Amino acid sequence: MRLRRVTAASVAVTVVIAAVIALLPLTLSNYHRATGASVAVFFIAILALNIVTGYTGQISIGHGAFMAVGGYTTAILTHDHGWSDLPTLPAAAVVGFVAGVIVGLPALRFHGVYLALTTFAVALAVPQLAKNYPNFTGGTEGLALPTHSGLWLYEVGWAVAGVMFVIAWFLLRGRTGRAFRAVRDSEVAAASSGVTLAVYKTVAFGISAAMAGVAGSVYVLVNNFVNPDVFGLTLSLYILIGAVVGGLGSLWGVLVGAAFIQLLPIALTTSHISSSQSVPVIFGAVVIGVMALLPLGAANLLRVALHFGSQSRQSSDIHLGTEGR
Amino acid sequence: MTAVVAALERRLWFRPSTSWIVPAALVGVAVFLVVGSLRSSLFAQQTISGLANGGIYASLAVALVLIYRATEVINFAQGALATFTTYVAWQLMAWGLSYWPAFACTLGIAFAGGFLVELVAIRPVERRGSQITAVIAAIGLLILVEGSVGWIWGNQVKFMPAPFPSHIYNVGGVAFSRQDLSTIGISIAAVLVLWLFFRFTKVGLAMRAAAVRPQAARLVGVRVSWMLSFGWGLAAVLGAVAGMMAAASPSVLLQPSMMDGILIYAFAAAVVGGLESAAGAVIGALLIGVLLNLLGSYVSWVTPQLLLPVAFVVMLIVLLVKPSGLFGRTRVRRV
Amino acid sequence: MTRRMKGALVLAVLAIVVAAGSAFAASTATPGVTRSTIKIGGTFPLTGPAALYSVIPKAENAYFQYVNARGGVNGRKINFKVYDDGYNPANTVPLTKKLVEQDKVFAVYGSLGTAPTLATRDYLNKAKVPQVLVATGDSYWGAQYKRYPWTIGFQPDYPGESRVYGEFIKSKVPQAKIGVLMQDDAYGQNYYNGLIQGLGAAKSKIVDVEKYDATQTDVSQQVVKLKAAGANVFALFALPTQTITALVVATKVGWHPVTFINNVSSSPTFMAIAQKSGADVTNDITATYVNDVWNNPDTASAKLYKTILAKYDKGADPLDANNVYGVASAWTFVKALSMAGKNPTRASLMNAFTHLNAKNPFLYPGVSLATTPTERFPIDQQILEQYKNGGWHPFGRIFSKAR
Repeated sequence: MRLRRVTAASVAVTVVIAAVIALLPLTLSNYHRATGASVAVFFIAILALNIVTGYTGQISIGHGAFMAVGGYTTAILTHDHGWSDLPTLPAAAVVGFVAGVIVGLPALRFHGVYLALTTFAVALAVPQLAKNYPNFTGGTEGLALPTHSGLWLYEVGWAVAGVMFVIAWFLLRGRTGRAFRAVRDSEVAAASSGVTLAVYKTVAFGISAAMAGVAGSVYVLVNNFVNPDVFGLTLSLYILIGAVVGGLGSLWGVLVGAAFIQLLPIALTTSHISSSQSVPVIFGAVVIGVMALLPLGAANLLRVALHFGSQSRQSSDIHLGTEGR
Repeated sequence: MTAVVAALERRLWFRPSTSWIVPAALVGVAVFLVVGSLRSSLFAQQTISGLANGGIYASLAVALVLIYRATEVINFAQGALATFTTYVAWQLMAWGLSYWPAFACTLGIAFAGGFLVELVAIRPVERRGSQITAVIAAIGLLILVEGSVGWIWGNQVKFMPAPFPSHIYNVGGVAFSRQDLSTIGISIAAVLVLWLFFRFTKVGLAMRAAAVRPQAARLVGVRVSWMLSFGWGLAAVLGAVAGMMAAASPSVLLQPSMMDGILIYAFAAAVVGGLESAAGAVIGALLIGVLLNLLGSYVSWVTPQLLLPVAFVVMLIVLLVKPSGLFGRTRVRRV
Repeated sequence: MTRRMKGALVLAVLAIVVAAGSAFAASTATPGVTRSTIKIGGTFPLTGPAALYSVIPKAENAYFQYVNARGGVNGRKINFKVYDDGYNPANTVPLTKKLVEQDKVFAVYGSLGTAPTLATRDYLNKAKVPQVLVATGDSYWGAQYKRYPWTIGFQPDYPGESRVYGEFIKSKVPQAKIGVLMQDDAYGQNYYNGLIQGLGAAKSKIVDVEKYDATQTDVSQQVVKLKAAGANVFALFALPTQTITALVVATKVGWHPVTFINNVSSSPTFMAIAQKSGADVTNDITATYVNDVWNNPDTASAKLYKTILAKYDKGADPLDANNVYGVASAWTFVKALSMAGKNPTRASLMNAFTHLNAKNPFLYPGVSLATTPTERFPIDQQILEQYKNGGWHPFGRIFSKAR
């Protein structure tokens, strides 16, 4: 979303969507409120991924690991150290930020597919680390946390999501956002315009990981449980799917992407039309279909349908090869 | 035309690098392994079984390199496709074919399957979208194909007959099976055949041209889009070989998730070897196989959980030193 | 009204309509119970790395169908909902909530896996929903009943099983030098602890312990080291995949110890695969508690088992011990349900589960189902069996777990 001016229409739609989200739980059952909360979790996670991949052009298949870092922070602080739930969220953000910087630094050396592989390795390594220190993390039997009502989860989830959205919005339309987009579009040009690549790339990773950490915290609160299996490679892949289906480089698409990866699989699993064995087949086919029909993601569809902003340059050509082809 | 394509490959992408370091390092590693094996039969045993595992990763790694070279797509679905074709082989044997005829049929089916998959699932995506959309489509493909295996054949573990009767050789206290040797041999043979194909056949030349300069290749009559499908078909064949070699080894059982772990190490091998080079992928795979076994046996602080992270850290260190992989050539980055 | 605003309004209205579609349902007196049906549900790994256990809910459902065909329990037919959680607790929790709040099941039955069960235990106990016959061998379910009275397990727990191995080695294998291969987490640790307890003073006979991580399928490196340590007894506490690998590799490197295989991984189907892959599994030992339908195919139990599978679970392999497990577990549920009275409530179901005293035809003769309100392990007894001539053959006495 490269809106320089805040159009009246975009404000109006934001307000309407926010109102719908705020009022929705009144009509939902406890179970659906909890489901809504998990959509919020992925909203935050996809938002986080968008910052580093959609806006700064650095591919990450490892955001599940940052969620793990934040999630475990919350779990350990509440389970072992008596913290109450909500104060752990900023703690998770801090820990996530540190993790993001740690990953971002060696990532400076890598581009395209090599960066993808680095983040892939991180996604696999973090659950293994969690298993390796069971006294700290509960190991494979994990840590069980207190349960919460669906309403509480929904409200906390979407309040946090709203805060993250606002932060992302301000960040991305300001100077930092311009620097990120410059890095994405052409690193050499950005560097010659005075953008310190190392700083901005690392900061992008840090902020993105901090946000993903917060997503992980809320995830753990929603599921009242944490163990390494919760944060497997599949999680990272699904976040990436959600980001691209929603539309990289777009803040609106994030909502669509989150709904897609959370609601569709559950709907398929619990519906009567498909046997449980066919769920992955259907979901995989839908993902391929969406990519074929809507390669720029749902956000592009929304953009065209509602005539938002300018038909801005599509940011989905994140290049996975090294440049120069 | 051959010369033109070769020249383009060199000019567009490569800058001569200090090319003696990597071969020297590899020779050093080989010497270390040989000396260690001679001194300790346990070391030798771990090295040999590491090489055998590496052979399995190698075939899949070469498939990944092939697709990446042709289309610059990270094919996340490569392992799942390999699993699918292995199940096809199992089914053919269950219907009465004996091993080698089933193997041959499976290779043919794999080629056709890979070709079709590119045509139906990847090409429509790549035409309208970009690289990242193709990657997401590959992830969707992974979910779809692995799901289909479970749907069609069920999730129970099945027995896969082995090509060779399990004959164990025992040399100086080290046991290895005929299967281990054939796995390593077949992987190397696959790379050789591929190299010959690319170097000496017209189709191979056309594929290289299509990868390097698609527009120019079209002008001289190369059907670029068919070349892409062809590349996927070949990669699927390599994947089928990988899957069947894997299923024949004792450490992999025929179940839908069988290639998941192997895919991870195949990625690592392909990247370490340098995504440009099939030989590099094989060497990378063998090195990773041996590294994992030796790390697990001899470095005591590497607990079983840390094996995978530590192996990746080693791999990333290699990449930090040589960012385009061992045999990759440094690319000139354009503005 | 501009087109943009119209579009936004449409979106908003759509959203509200969709949401309104999921209004509250009226709650009944006992959820899941109607005049003619009883609804239960469970979460199982139908896909993913643990999918080889997906035969269990199918076998359980087969038994329920059999019972339904005979009029059900007290005139009510059992409706069994099976959801796939892929062994991921992040799926188990929402699916369990769905079972309780949307599907309004009477009880959550048979859920498989320690972590998935732990993840939902608090929620279910808080909601006073029975969490019964969970398919995991952890001791928590029987040991922590005071805090979690609505949860109960089924199978003998892992430490109890390996304690039997330890006692056997202590008394029957005096020159033992024991090598242990275990999964490096709570699952493996459970078995290891039991082994130590059973060995008692003989635990000094353990010469080497090797561990593997669940993500590793290749355990050849560990097996080689165990052989190098000179072990002549092999305690193999692993999941089925790694068990088969270990057996094959042991034979391949020329190591022929007295091998103990944990029950979860010793199903005849796995042994057959190991054998076909080149493992010499003759004389390997495991423990069991299910009926020996393979050596005694003419007993009423065996015939009934095969009939049920053939009719209601087509394609199921009667050789797979997990199928016997499933049928035995379903029998237990039906028994408790019938004991819960003509108008069962959740409380009366749990009361039945804590007063079990029955002979389950799908369990090994002599192994009984017995619980009291303070003794909450339904099955406590096992018998050892040895692999000969392509099958398991029980021998010796029935071991009971002394508490």
